[in-house]
Amino acid sequence: MSELAHTNHTEKKDFLVRSSSLKDVRSFCREVFEKLHIDQNLKDELVLAIAEAAQNIVKHAYKDSPNTEDKMVVQISCKDNKLQIGFYDMGTPVDPGKVKHREIDNVKPGGLGTFFIQQIMDAVEFKDGKKPWINHLVLTKQL
Amino acid sequence: MSYTVSEEGNIATVHLDGEIDMDVTEKAKEVIFPHIDAGKEVHLNLSKVQYMDSSGISVLIESHQKALEKNTKVIIKEVSKSVLKVIMMAKLEQILNLE
Repeated sequence: MSELAHTNHTEKKDFLVRSSSLKDVRSFCREVFEKLHIDQNLKDELVLAIAEAAQNIVKHAYKDSPNTEDKMVVQISCKDNKLQIGFYDMGTPVDPGKVKHREIDNVKPGGLGTFFIQQIMDAVEFKDGKKPWINHLVLTKQL
Repeated sequence: MSYTVSEEGNIATVHLDGEIDMDVTEKAKEVIFPHIDAGKEVHLNLSKVQYMDSSGISVLIESHQKALEKNTKVIIKEVSKSVLKVIMMAKLEQILNLE
């Protein structure tokens, strides 16, 4: 844990649901984590987990709408040394029971994003999306 | 993502530069796969790739498997520390050819 980290802080930003937005999601996260003085190793891991979750929205929740003008929101909150990242989208409802990564020993392309998220974060929780949102994913990590 | 390719004999050396995510995986495949399809040994230099996500890892797996089918190989060279960490998180350091 970084010594200077973790004043209470919340920031959120919306992004077009496109693969081309993923670099902007990463830039946003890096800027916020810079302000929170999170060390480089953890910052890299958190950015990966967040970008994978955003990618899942593009790839799965909007699988049938690649040219959507919808936006997704990423909200990063830090309170009492607990980092919480919320994702909001209006895509196809996610069935949490079907969100699984592939068997890690069954080497083949795909199916690793969710594995990375679970490896990096302490908790992954789908909550009911409140209107206008359909999906609300929350990732948490104790700093 | 940008790239350079140089060829010498049966070896194609591909240098990738930038961040490899879902947005650029098709481009990465277009750069790498034709050399594998041609039966070349591909040296994939990742020294200038500072970020790679699961989509990028999938390109590495697919390249590796495609090379095996073509009786050749993909050797990943000069992998940056941050990308190596992701490769190791995916438990692929013993599967892919890393140098």
